[in-house]
Amino acid sequence: MIPVISLAVFLPLAAGLLLMALPKSSSRLAHGVGIGASALTFLLTLVIWARGVVPGGFAQVEEVSWIEAVGAAYRVGVDGLSLPLVLLTSLLFLLGFIYQAKSADRARSFTILMLMLETASIGTFVALDALLFYVFFEVSLVSMYFMIAGWGGAERQRAALMFFIYTLLGSLPLLLAILGLFLASDPYTFDMRLWIEAPPLVGIGAMLALIAMLFTFAVKIPAFPVHTWLPAAHVQAPTVGSVILAGVMLKFGTYGLVRFALQMTPDAFRQIGVVVLAVGVVGAIYGAFVALAQSDIKRMVAYTSVNHMGYVVIAVAIAALATDPGMRAIALDGAILQMISHGLVTGALFFLVGMLKDRAHTREMDEMGGLLKVVPVLGWTYILMAFASLGLPGLAHFPAEFQIFLATLNVSPWAVVSILAIVVVAGLYLRSISMVFLGEPDKKWLGMPDLDRREVIVLVPLIVLTILIGIAPSWLLDLIHITTASMGF
Amino acid sequence: MSALGVVILAPVLAAMLVLLLRQWAGVVAAGGALIALLASMWLLYGAVSGAPAALVLPGLPRMPLLLEAGSLTAILSLMVAVVAFFVLIFAVGYMAHDREKPRFFATMLMFVAAMQLLVLSADWITLLAAWELIGVSSYLLIGFWHGKPGVAGAATRAFIYTRSADLGLYIGAFLLIGLAGTSEISASLATTGTPAMVAGLLLLVAAMGKSAQVPLNDWLQRAMAGPTPVSALLHSATLVAAGAILLIRIAPMLPAQTLVVVGLVGGVTTMVTGLIALGEKDLKRLLAASTSSQYGLMLLAIGAGAWVVALLHLLAHAAIKSGLFLGAGVFQHARGSTLMDDIAGAGRAQPRVFAGFTLAALALAGLPPLAGFFSKDAIIAAALASPGAAWLLPLGLAGTVLTGAYMARALMQLWQPTSIAAPDDENLRWMGWGLAGVVALAVGLGAAFPALEALLGEKMVVSTLAMMLGLGAAAIGLLLGWFVAPRVLLGPLYAWAQNGFAIAGGMDALVLRPAMAMARACNRVEAGIYAGVLGFGRAMMHLGRGTRFTDEAGIDGTIFGFVRATIRSGKRARLLQSAMIHRSLALTITATGILAIGLFAAPLFY
Repeated sequence: MIPVISLAVFLPLAAGLLLMALPKSSSRLAHGVGIGASALTFLLTLVIWARGVVPGGFAQVEEVSWIEAVGAAYRVGVDGLSLPLVLLTSLLFLLGFIYQAKSADRARSFTILMLMLETASIGTFVALDALLFYVFFEVSLVSMYFMIAGWGGAERQRAALMFFIYTLLGSLPLLLAILGLFLASDPYTFDMRLWIEAPPLVGIGAMLALIAMLFTFAVKIPAFPVHTWLPAAHVQAPTVGSVILAGVMLKFGTYGLVRFALQMTPDAFRQIGVVVLAVGVVGAIYGAFVALAQSDIKRMVAYTSVNHMGYVVIAVAIAALATDPGMRAIALDGAILQMISHGLVTGALFFLVGMLKDRAHTREMDEMGGLLKVVPVLGWTYILMAFASLGLPGLAHFPAEFQIFLATLNVSPWAVVSILAIVVVAGLYLRSISMVFLGEPDKKWLGMPDLDRREVIVLVPLIVLTILIGIAPSWLLDLIHITTASMGF
Repeated sequence: MSALGVVILAPVLAAMLVLLLRQWAGVVAAGGALIALLASMWLLYGAVSGAPAALVLPGLPRMPLLLEAGSLTAILSLMVAVVAFFVLIFAVGYMAHDREKPRFFATMLMFVAAMQLLVLSADWITLLAAWELIGVSSYLLIGFWHGKPGVAGAATRAFIYTRSADLGLYIGAFLLIGLAGTSEISASLATTGTPAMVAGLLLLVAAMGKSAQVPLNDWLQRAMAGPTPVSALLHSATLVAAGAILLIRIAPMLPAQTLVVVGLVGGVTTMVTGLIALGEKDLKRLLAASTSSQYGLMLLAIGAGAWVVALLHLLAHAAIKSGLFLGAGVFQHARGSTLMDDIAGAGRAQPRVFAGFTLAALALAGLPPLAGFFSKDAIIAAALASPGAAWLLPLGLAGTVLTGAYMARALMQLWQPTSIAAPDDENLRWMGWGLAGVVALAVGLGAAFPALEALLGEKMVVSTLAMMLGLGAAAIGLLLGWFVAPRVLLGPLYAWAQNGFAIAGGMDALVLRPAMAMARACNRVEAGIYAGVLGFGRAMMHLGRGTRFTDEAGIDGTIFGFVRATIRSGKRARLLQSAMIHRSLALTITATGILAIGLFAAPLFY
């Protein structure tokens, strides 16, 4: 059996090392290597998809012993939670490389960083060993830090520092929690599968580990009130950095919330589920209102992530609180589908905002106007994706949010107050459409070129998937449901 | 393929064809609508012959998407298809000179498809999806001429108003799905007691938003920013109808307490918006207010426990109101405006169009033997027979008087002597056919009512007293409207009515401004948190610098070593120049490499 998962994880890194080894390579070559390696990785993840997942555990596990004395091993595998995220990751990286191909700004370094980040991202989702997970999780931060610090906007240093302080301080508690789980396991092991099967910690120990993990993942998600690094990082990050940050890296937090917090300390999670739920509700509403107050379109999109990720937090908390396994599966299906939808839709929105900035040289919405008449393809794509983001039926967020709210109302009715946010989000997107695209265009915009072929290639897969998930979510939900229906905790 | 699929997909495919061809947009669109019309006739035939069409599609796990054409839904589907067909015929002429015809017809077809999906849906998910798709289609249509000032605002307002109310549908549907354990609408109808009351009230909120009931009525009058065929469709068989249709479908579930509220909302709306219509200075805005008022009458009928009567008035109103808007569209075409002063005499100049408009207007007022007579008569009879007759009957009669009054006023204005000749336009032919089609329905539909009642297995209450009262109210209204100026009729209410009876500044002051204030407040909190974190980071860095020269051994040293590493990377970050990124990068990769080698080599030493 060919170890496809390991190949998908390390192929980008190998390509990065190869590129580093090549002396004085041109931008063209660097872009070629980036697109080639990520395309190949994407195909590999499709093979993983074709091999499928199994109910009640992990599929396609690849295992090599590593530090036997402490039960640490190189272990990777997928289930219905991680596989969709792996597919999303490999797709967004491929599109990111295609988008970046126009840039000649230190192309080689950028490509190497991106490839390193891709390995770390896929690795984070497929790791089944807690130490391995932690290594991948940390390496991804370093790459993103340099991407913001090196290619960001005018205030990039401060944003990068903020990002680093937050995530560095944020990930230490996770390490402590992992050590706690390790020390409580008998025999000693870092095998996540064993920790999930029979949670090693109970009582106060489990509670402390859970709190530590919640802190780490709350920063990463990001949940209110530890979310302030996100808009700062997004505003300064280059377009591709934002796409990867929002599309892939935020999911580390929500993925960890399910994989670690919910699956490894389920009883403790059930006890403080209401607190987590409240954090989610506040985050969803707060994120929507702050987004409404923005005049910078990229900041606005960034804050809608706080809102959308708030729904995921709500869904995971509801899954913990639910006593009926049917409702629990609905909540988890919604949570995972919401992660994927957010990756596709917000990824596309950050691409679009970047394309807009490239043309208008501003991100202030009140300086624009009437652009639908000047760049109709860009404009209509933005309108479509904005409607997707505000949860319109027939587009990707609707089935996810429908399931989340359905489970919420039937498990903790008060939390359904967060549904108010969908009106606020609708308002802010319609406001942005109205300010940027409707009305008569100013004369200075008249020569603006519409999307070129490369940009269309980047957007089309995202549009197609957004519609496919919206109209017939079953092709993806069935995969997710295999795992969520058999999650016993 | 099932006829159900054809009804919905024919408009969708026609829309795609329109966008691809970009030629013959109007004809392709009308063709798509015709195919859908034939398919929906087939659906009704199936329902009549006892073999209703049904379709199951994969949806969410354990919650498939269901479509079904029972008697009620097949009738509604046919109504949508018929009105859509004639409106599209009209639009071929009306939009002949617009450069963005393909976009117009494609969006109209999407609108129709979404409405068909809504009436044929048999599960809550499909209904909710269709409900929202109708909202977005109307947003795109109201905003069709998006370059014009004020249009974007009107479209945004329509969407936000209806979406806010939609929350009622969301929560109501979640509640009903949770209770029944299935998403089928038919299963939910068995709900009783408090859950039924709560769910009913929640769904009422959603219906009030879509059917523009007081106090959520203001968006509809502003929605006039779109092309007239849009109004003709939106006010008759699609967007606004969705609210009443929802209530008609769930009527068997509604307990008495909820029915009282439904009736009250309808009664108040029919009064208030009737007064607004009477005070209007613009023909299209008058018709829009009248729509709210007529839907108020339907809600009143549902509240009186006679949902089948509401359905009949919905059907009659669909034909009548599309006729009135299409007529208004012709006059607008001739005069370039719909202000009452500008269209004075437009009817006298185009007598055939005026005849159609007049028939529709009299049908709405409720004169026999036009369609509106039968349905309005039935509403009065239902109100009279209901337990709430004491307040439902006066409100219903007031609504009827007002209907006569504002229609008579519009007719009188159009019949003023004029010297402006009608334009000679070949496109008038298309418009004329579209108008003739719906007016014929407005005249003759009443003849089909007994058959519909038999099909639905419900019987209208018949009452001579109700008929006398209804006719009397209509006659009084018509006479008052023709002979007495609205300023005199409305008296002290005149200015307030023209302001839409806004209370305390209306919805803008009560909802929109607080929402924006809330947004700004959250943004200030946000700035506070950001500054706090930045301050914390700086403090940590100072702390790190301070301890650099102190004891570095032990735990302290380890912790602050970490802090120092942070500072170093911070400084490095500040120094980063384009030339130096390579070096930093190499450093990171090397460090990661050493770390990895160390970790992988560790087992060798154990």
